[in-house]
Amino acid sequence: MTVAVRIIPCLDIRAGRVVKGVNFENIIDAGDPVETAERYNAEGADELCFLDIDASYENRSATLSTVEAVASQVFIPLTVGGGVSKLQDIERLLEKGADKVSINTSAILDPSLVGNAAKKFGSQCIVVAVDSKREGEKSYVYTHGGKNKTAFETSAWIKIVEGEGAGEILLTSMDRDGTKIGFDNELTSSIAKDLSIPLITSGGAGSIDHMIEGITDGKADAVLAASIFHQKEITIAEVKDGLASKGIEVRL
Amino acid sequence: MKVGIIDYGASNLYSIDRSLRYLGANTLIIDESSKLKEVDKLIFPGQGSLGSAMSHLKKIDLFEDVRIQLKEKPFLGICLGLQVLFSKSEEGDTQGYGFYKNEISMFPPDLPIKVPHMGWNKVFIKQDHDLFKNIENDTRFYFVHSYLLKDFDEEKSFSTTHHGIEFISSIGDENIFATQFHPEKSGEAGLKFFDNFLKWNP
Repeated sequence: MTVAVRIIPCLDIRAGRVVKGVNFENIIDAGDPVETAERYNAEGADELCFLDIDASYENRSATLSTVEAVASQVFIPLTVGGGVSKLQDIERLLEKGADKVSINTSAILDPSLVGNAAKKFGSQCIVVAVDSKREGEKSYVYTHGGKNKTAFETSAWIKIVEGEGAGEILLTSMDRDGTKIGFDNELTSSIAKDLSIPLITSGGAGSIDHMIEGITDGKADAVLAASIFHQKEITIAEVKDGLASKGIEVRL
Repeated sequence: MKVGIIDYGASNLYSIDRSLRYLGANTLIIDESSKLKEVDKLIFPGQGSLGSAMSHLKKIDLFEDVRIQLKEKPFLGICLGLQVLFSKSEEGDTQGYGFYKNEISMFPPDLPIKVPHMGWNKVFIKQDHDLFKNIENDTRFYFVHSYLLKDFDEEKSFSTTHHGIEFISSIGDENIFATQFHPEKSGEAGLKFFDNFLKWNP
């Protein structure tokens, strides 16, 4: 009797193609964005996430034409990120069919961007993406597609953006990204327990059991994965069946 | 037949526009009063904050003209487009159109739930309505909101949904229908709902 756990395939976009890397490196081609989005929609994806992975590094805005092409064919929520640095970028993405925008690097450079964006477009529209990497006992936030370390500890930073009015947190473990050894549930659950807004866990999914653990152990509200879906190792429908068999609410 | 989508400067109206065009409808974005007379049906889209929506509509002189049309044309309010029909909201004490006196409130803070209520949740259909034709009871639709309608006239409440507490997820009153969920983001079920709206003759 409540909201279903969301399964979100993520499409990393570079130059209009879906790509995938390991630990944010060794990027390979993984298909056409519209075809991929349509396949995921047919399989029962609850949302789609597009990240233009070079956008903030190269200082340009996300691939607007890709967003538009997908948004004209697929009618489930689309989150788009990459190079969002001002209110105008958000407006342009919404015009092309995005429902939420994900802000990462620019939020670190100017946390008030999150607050101003939430005021103008509503909190529901503003996802703060956090790329986190462990260092001993601590975890730190990285920007520019995982290239630059910041002084922010992950948990402290998430409390800041929650206070600014972020509607959702997309937390990616850089240590786990593309490794298929499971989500960093210890990190995720330590953050989820103090968080009032939804949390998406990302980085490391390699099996249906990992997805289940991301919810039961990681306490996430949604799971995001790329590699395993792109490579057709598991389908979204299989993930949902697995979650449902554990009594977790999904949209079937 | 042409469907107008009201543009108050900060919403996902393009998602709605794309869904309707996908279904073969003619649409028009309403960003000034003169365009209202060109359309046969109206959609007030969701998302954004009630306060900024209202002040933007007033700024472009659409506020009162939309009010008149609300009584005349088949109208679909989505999310914020439902909340706008009420007299007051806890969201900064903003005044909506005030057709109904009930209050739009926040999710109670002491519930073990995440707010915004974001994701696919079940719509329990309480009464038949043309807009729910061929849609099964308990179908999941996509929700994104922090404010809700807790109580409303039973005969005008068409569905409820549960997230920590039960709330009214759709209302209907003659030519008006309004949903807390987002049909434009609800996949196949949402497209079916929009198709019903396109065919609707209240």
